[in-house]
Amino acid sequence: MTDTAYALEVRGITKTFPGVRALDEVNLRLKPGEVHALLGENGAGKSTLIKIITGIQPQDSGELIVNGEARSFRSAHEATRAGIGVVHQERNVITDFTVAENIVLGNTPVKGGRVQWREVREGAKRVLDLLDFPIDPATPTSLLSPAQTQLVEIARGLYTDSAVLLLDEPTASISETESKLLFDVVHRLSAQGRAILFVSHKLEEVFAHCDTVTVFRDGRSVAESEPLSNYSKDTIVDLLVGRTLAKLEVPDRSPSERGTPALELRDVSTFSGHRDVSFAVHPGQIVGIYGLVGAGRSELAKAILGLDRITEGEVLVNGSAAQIRSVGDALGRYGIGYVTEDRKAEGLFLDQTVARNLTVTVLKRLSNAFGFVRERAARATADEYIASLDVKVSNRDQLVGQLSGGNQQKVSLGKWLAANTDILIIDEPTVGIDVRTKGAFYQLIWALAEQGKAVLVISSDLAEMVTLVDRIVVMQDFEVTGSVLNSHEYDEMSKSVIRLIHEERIDVVEG
Amino acid sequence: MTSRSNRLTSVLSDNRVGLLLLIIVLVVLIGSLKPMFFSPAFVIGPMLTSIAIFTVVGLAQMVVLSVGQMNLAVGGMAAIGAMGSAIVFQAFDVPLIVGIAVGLVVGGAVGALCGVLIAYAGVNSFVVTLAMSFALLGLVPAVYSWVSTGNAITVQTPGLAELGRSKLSDLCIGDTCGPDGVPLILFVAVAAMIVIGLLFSKARIGREILLTGSSDRAALLSAIPVPRRIITVHTLSGMLAALAGFMLGASTGSFTPGIGQEFMLQSFLGPILGGTLLAGGYVSVIGTFLGITITVVIRQGLLLFGVGIEGLNILLGTILLIALSADRIRSVAGARSRLRASRQQSPAKSKEEAVVS
Repeated sequence: MTDTAYALEVRGITKTFPGVRALDEVNLRLKPGEVHALLGENGAGKSTLIKIITGIQPQDSGELIVNGEARSFRSAHEATRAGIGVVHQERNVITDFTVAENIVLGNTPVKGGRVQWREVREGAKRVLDLLDFPIDPATPTSLLSPAQTQLVEIARGLYTDSAVLLLDEPTASISETESKLLFDVVHRLSAQGRAILFVSHKLEEVFAHCDTVTVFRDGRSVAESEPLSNYSKDTIVDLLVGRTLAKLEVPDRSPSERGTPALELRDVSTFSGHRDVSFAVHPGQIVGIYGLVGAGRSELAKAILGLDRITEGEVLVNGSAAQIRSVGDALGRYGIGYVTEDRKAEGLFLDQTVARNLTVTVLKRLSNAFGFVRERAARATADEYIASLDVKVSNRDQLVGQLSGGNQQKVSLGKWLAANTDILIIDEPTVGIDVRTKGAFYQLIWALAEQGKAVLVISSDLAEMVTLVDRIVVMQDFEVTGSVLNSHEYDEMSKSVIRLIHEERIDVVEG
Repeated sequence: MTSRSNRLTSVLSDNRVGLLLLIIVLVVLIGSLKPMFFSPAFVIGPMLTSIAIFTVVGLAQMVVLSVGQMNLAVGGMAAIGAMGSAIVFQAFDVPLIVGIAVGLVVGGAVGALCGVLIAYAGVNSFVVTLAMSFALLGLVPAVYSWVSTGNAITVQTPGLAELGRSKLSDLCIGDTCGPDGVPLILFVAVAAMIVIGLLFSKARIGREILLTGSSDRAALLSAIPVPRRIITVHTLSGMLAALAGFMLGASTGSFTPGIGQEFMLQSFLGPILGGTLLAGGYVSVIGTFLGITITVVIRQGLLLFGVGIEGLNILLGTILLIALSADRIRSVAGARSRLRASRQQSPAKSKEEAVVS
């Protein structure tokens, strides 16, 4: 007997890949009108289940029941027609297309072989309005920031007007305020009786917005469609990692802000539109730059590295004016490293080995007088960072593209640790990585600061900022609107930060 | 699977081994049907000379493919480089080595110009080198007709004929002479292979070039001087093309504007058959040599069977097309087998990859 009380039901689904059981008889029941969290660490099987539900991969056994009817979709298109919409974790927009074209992609309204452009524009506008995302549907997607791109992805999921909406880490790369907008939409949709399945690594979000929870660990469901109120954050984390995880020890940090800053920006204006940006990072200090999407955070990092033109003001390194024209200059002459937010496109050479990726910034140091690479030294360097960062690899010659997200992020960071720069800019240090690895990253960044390095962290995750940094600099519209010393109290900090975003420039300096 | 059988499959799946086996089969087959094929003076010697010249042309293309770009002007660069050598030989009567150096400088300069336009003006390599090949197509004959009477320069510099046309059998130590049919010029190609091989396998610059080919964006953000490396490969490509042009001139004794005319197709065939990726990031020097060898063997074999030049070109074009499809198939199959291998090594982690696949 099938039960029509569920919009979507997963019964005993198993999926085996050569040598590994990705899903082992998992169950999940999704009711209309509920927001259901699907949790699990990287590799626990969440994405595999989503691919099965949306017809991208077939299951080996088990049933998928949609509206009381056993179904198995042979293509993503069939799943869409059955009323299942999805926002995938990987960004799948076609950058040569406009925002509107991407939103209707795969469901383009066609009549008599001709694309109905008016419908395309209006449909796209409708979902963009729903998201309160003020962008012209005719904008080429190539002009968007990663976070804006993510919003387009979400808009595509909403476009098909589905009874079941699967959101696979939609908030991984967007800021707090945008997440709020997204959740407003999610609640509105669930109030209309739609069923929402929400995959996330951010437990704060899950507890704030979800009703029910399913937890996967190593391909098994260790909690199946239970009310979230039965759990606390701690008990969920226990379920996720399968043992009681030592709570993250936040060190008591109060680095000095006296003396010459390692990195200082004085009234910097840039070609891409920053105006009079000033802040300083002292040796041993961790400064965070927080702001909404489009606030110009990553662009500022790129400007410091010489990838954008600085039109006015100056960048000072250790008190003297710096002329940085390339990342090579930043590294070679000023000792500045930069870990990018987009590890796949900008951080890593996916088809090269782990060893080659880890040694890229230190090739000069690893070469002899004739310009030949000293292989033994290169291998030793690679092994050193594989060990100290606990990168899970079969050997140093494994290709980076084969590693999991967390391990890739470790390599992306590791190549800059190898460079051993006194100043390190880290853009979105933990995007898309799980709880356990996140903790390890924070420990690592604190250790860097303890060694006297100046660390600038850019993040759209306010909880991360409050945990990690010593001072939060808030950016809005390519300007710094203020900065606050971090008290490590989430509620208090989020209030100050939101105030700085929405009010005109005031310098709130506490402590 | 045991590690030994693993290693065996990986050796067999290396397409260079396949190429080598194919070359042996072809040589045996053609040789048994036409024993003439083994004649040192008439077939083996000229064939090895062609292999030597085309291998250097293949390397000229390979160094640019390493960053995921291409050089459509290899023929023109070969022509202008050879012309530079010929002019200084004729006008200033310089020694052999100086003439070669001048040719390399001329070819390198033309390559560097392309590199600068690509790296700093941001124009696509296809467009820049195509335009350059047209410019050279006009410039080279114009200069020849200006400096010489018969549209060709015959060079008598001491040593040139020996380098271009002598065989190992001409070199004797006491009574022992080298084998007949092995031209001296083959060693010029071997020297070029060693230099380029060392560059890509051992040198920092080679490593930086391959990383640029793997992802230029990531290279730029990893402090690699990407524009400089793009200029490096185009300069190198121009020099290698000029070297090949000089080799062709030396092997015939006469330098003409026609040098390099048949270089372009060959320049792509060698590296691609040999496993160099069009997308950049991976090259194979030995593969380029084997790829060139197989095309030259096929060409010589068919000539013996009386197939005309038109038929040959159709065949070579077809081979290039098949090689390009194979390039695609190989990269897909390669990714799959690597994935399988890593799964077997570490089942715990492979779930993540399974999800990705």
